[in-house]
Amino acid sequence: MHMADALIVPGTAAVMAAASAGAAAYSIYKVRRENDPAKVPVMGVMGAFVFAAQMINFTIPGTGSSGHLCGGLMLSAVLGPYAGFLTMIGVLLVQCLFFADGGLLALGCNIWNMAFYGCFVGALLIWKSIMKNGASKKRITLASILGSVITLQMGAFSVCIETFVSGVSALPFKAFLAAMLPIHLAIGLVEGLITAAVLCFIHEARPELLWGIGTQERAPARLSLGKTLGIIAAAAAVVGGLLSLAASALPDGLEWALERVAGTAELPAAGGAYEAAGAVQKATSILPDYAFPGSESAAGTTVSGLAGALITALILIGIALALHFFRSRRRG
Amino acid sequence: MSRIGNAARNIGKLDELARRDTWLNRIHPLPKLLVTVLYLVLVVSFSPRQLTGVLGMAIYPFILFEFGDLSFTSALYRMRIILPVVCLVGVLNPIFDREPALTIFGVTVTGGVLTMLSLMVKGVLTVLATYLLIATTTVESVCGALRMLHIPGILVTEFLLICRYVSVLLSEADRMWQAYSMRAPGQRGVAAGAWGSMIGRLLLRSMDRAKALYQSMCLRGFRENSTLLPVKGLESKDLFYFASFTTTLILLRIFPVLELIGRLFV
Amino acid sequence: MSHIHIDISGLSFEYEKGHPVLDSISVSFHEHDSVGIIGANAAGKSTFLKLLVGLEMPPQGSIRIEEIPVEKNTLSKIREKIGYVFQDSDTQLFMTTVQDDVAFAPRNYGLPEDEVARRVARALDLVHIPHLAGKPIYKLSGGEKKLASIATILSMTPDIILMDEPSAALDPKNRRSLIHVLNEFDHLRIITSHDLDFIWDTCSRVVLIDAGRIIADGIPDVILRDETLLTAHGLELPLSLSER
Repeated sequence: MHMADALIVPGTAAVMAAASAGAAAYSIYKVRRENDPAKVPVMGVMGAFVFAAQMINFTIPGTGSSGHLCGGLMLSAVLGPYAGFLTMIGVLLVQCLFFADGGLLALGCNIWNMAFYGCFVGALLIWKSIMKNGASKKRITLASILGSVITLQMGAFSVCIETFVSGVSALPFKAFLAAMLPIHLAIGLVEGLITAAVLCFIHEARPELLWGIGTQERAPARLSLGKTLGIIAAAAAVVGGLLSLAASALPDGLEWALERVAGTAELPAAGGAYEAAGAVQKATSILPDYAFPGSESAAGTTVSGLAGALITALILIGIALALHFFRSRRRG
Repeated sequence: MSRIGNAARNIGKLDELARRDTWLNRIHPLPKLLVTVLYLVLVVSFSPRQLTGVLGMAIYPFILFEFGDLSFTSALYRMRIILPVVCLVGVLNPIFDREPALTIFGVTVTGGVLTMLSLMVKGVLTVLATYLLIATTTVESVCGALRMLHIPGILVTEFLLICRYVSVLLSEADRMWQAYSMRAPGQRGVAAGAWGSMIGRLLLRSMDRAKALYQSMCLRGFRENSTLLPVKGLESKDLFYFASFTTTLILLRIFPVLELIGRLFV
Repeated sequence: MSHIHIDISGLSFEYEKGHPVLDSISVSFHEHDSVGIIGANAAGKSTFLKLLVGLEMPPQGSIRIEEIPVEKNTLSKIREKIGYVFQDSDTQLFMTTVQDDVAFAPRNYGLPEDEVARRVARALDLVHIPHLAGKPIYKLSGGEKKLASIATILSMTPDIILMDEPSAALDPKNRRSLIHVLNEFDHLRIITSHDLDFIWDTCSRVVLIDAGRIIADGIPDVILRDETLLTAHGLELPLSLSER
């Protein structure tokens, strides 16, 4: 579910980057407070480990197809959610730079959709609360599957929202969800099963490596489940609010997308919203749409524009061929 | 498994390109990174129907690919992961949006076709721009640029170590897979019974390696706030690069260059 | 007798209670010594080296490096004097290029960049690999990695060099060049290995350890030729000395 740059607009990118940066800043604060200088090399090597583990094909029983691992929950179950989150950021950056898997601009989205949910919701919330009375094979399996399925659903849902508010697809929001969620249910299940298998193995071989395992008579948690849920809900609300604000400020992305969903502007309320959005848009849009005097670019694309593209392409290819010709002559 | 080998080869190839000595490689990483981000922002800022505008932005990667002596084919090869997704999102646009947008030689083009095409062009251009950055900038330089942007040292060090150890762990995973597949002929992936022990053993080995690595770093004076790499200063050519490309890109974004050229002829 | 660099008395260490890895070891090493610590697997060789630089703590008994006792608050001082070369070069080399890795320690000790550059150049010269300076680590061969590993500690200008199984996984040619490089050094160097031919070629003194105790300590000509002694402690005569 890596998002490409093309699927988002600057507003979406900025909001999600800010949200992810916030989560990263908090994680850095928490990791620094642990005061364990060995954490950094561990994060580096474990990041490389996740990357390598993602490259292994897993045969899915009964289907003949193969699946892969994402690894956010697994990593957090070993490193803790904060170091796990920071490690996933590094992994996503490597994927985006070296493999074009997810865009540089969409990095904030991808960190949020994959790392944030996997590490914070999957590990901090689900894993930790299931493990609070000690670990067993059953509990590990339950936590891994539940954690992976839920966080992948949340991730897929976020992908839909981010694409929708960016307004690049004419696909209605509901149809988009209907396509994304079931696929990610299956992916989440496979992820959960692999995670469970690995963590059960670790539990048997080196149980002390697992994070967040409570004992029977544990002191009351400093952060209760309710409080944690509250914090995450508040964070989600803030991000959602910012995202819709950014969306309303887009050149015409949301407007365009809304039009698709609502058919035409039949809803009177929607008409009001359009005008409001238009006003905000005029006030905040960084770059004006093409408004060259005498330009007929109301639709954004014109015949003369396309002709210009063709001519420019021909000129550039000519220059390129000339360059190659001279280069090969020089080398020869 | 070819996936693992492919990944290692890809990283190796990019690293080799980044270590060449062309003028683009010699430009300071910070302006290159900033120009790349600016370019990405400008490309995706076009509204869905502005196909001409997006096409105009292709001038930048095209010219720099030529001058940086980079190959389009290997850049486009990288898109096999991400482009299908982008296409999938856009491919239904013509069905949902049938409103005619313009007519070329009597053929009516609908808004859906325009939005689909501009989405695909955006997809290609953004991947090209990122490739342009990483194929001319080494990992160490990227880290230097991140430090100059005040990205916390903990993240930069971690990123550097990931890049260093990806090749080591990929070859370890490859060996484990080979050892597995020798004893499980005909399997295309790891069977469910071995999921836990295979990845689990790789995980344990990685944790041990991390511990040894930490010792090795400590023995050579590593502290948490150590700066691993010196930060290079900006030279006038770097500033010139930054200023000229920023201006050019913004001008490309604001003025419909292609349309102006086209109107000379049509 | 030359200056004493390392002085150890009554050193014991255990990971688990009741299972000592090292058992009351007393020994001292001098400037310019070239010592081979030999012994079968799990004899306690690596633990011995790690105790010297404080990677395993706390030992029972005393270790003094140039008169400084090895304790928690003297570690940084001691680690500036001792270079430790890990068995696995991929653990030793964690930066992306050879020159950055060799420059790591001098930079961490806060030297100015021009001095760092001088140190790097000199260290690479000493192991005869100046041509590899700009090369990324993942492209090096096993032998090149080992030489680069040694350069990373030479750039700290240590008085003492410790090496854990340096000849493991080296082909004959790389092995020979490593021997050549080691024999050019003037430092006190302590090498652990069960590759007795390698010890024969590089060491002037041999210490045999078994089950955490020093069994023998003497010149290679005596210990490495003593077949009964070696086989009694899980080792064999060096190939170059055995008669066929």
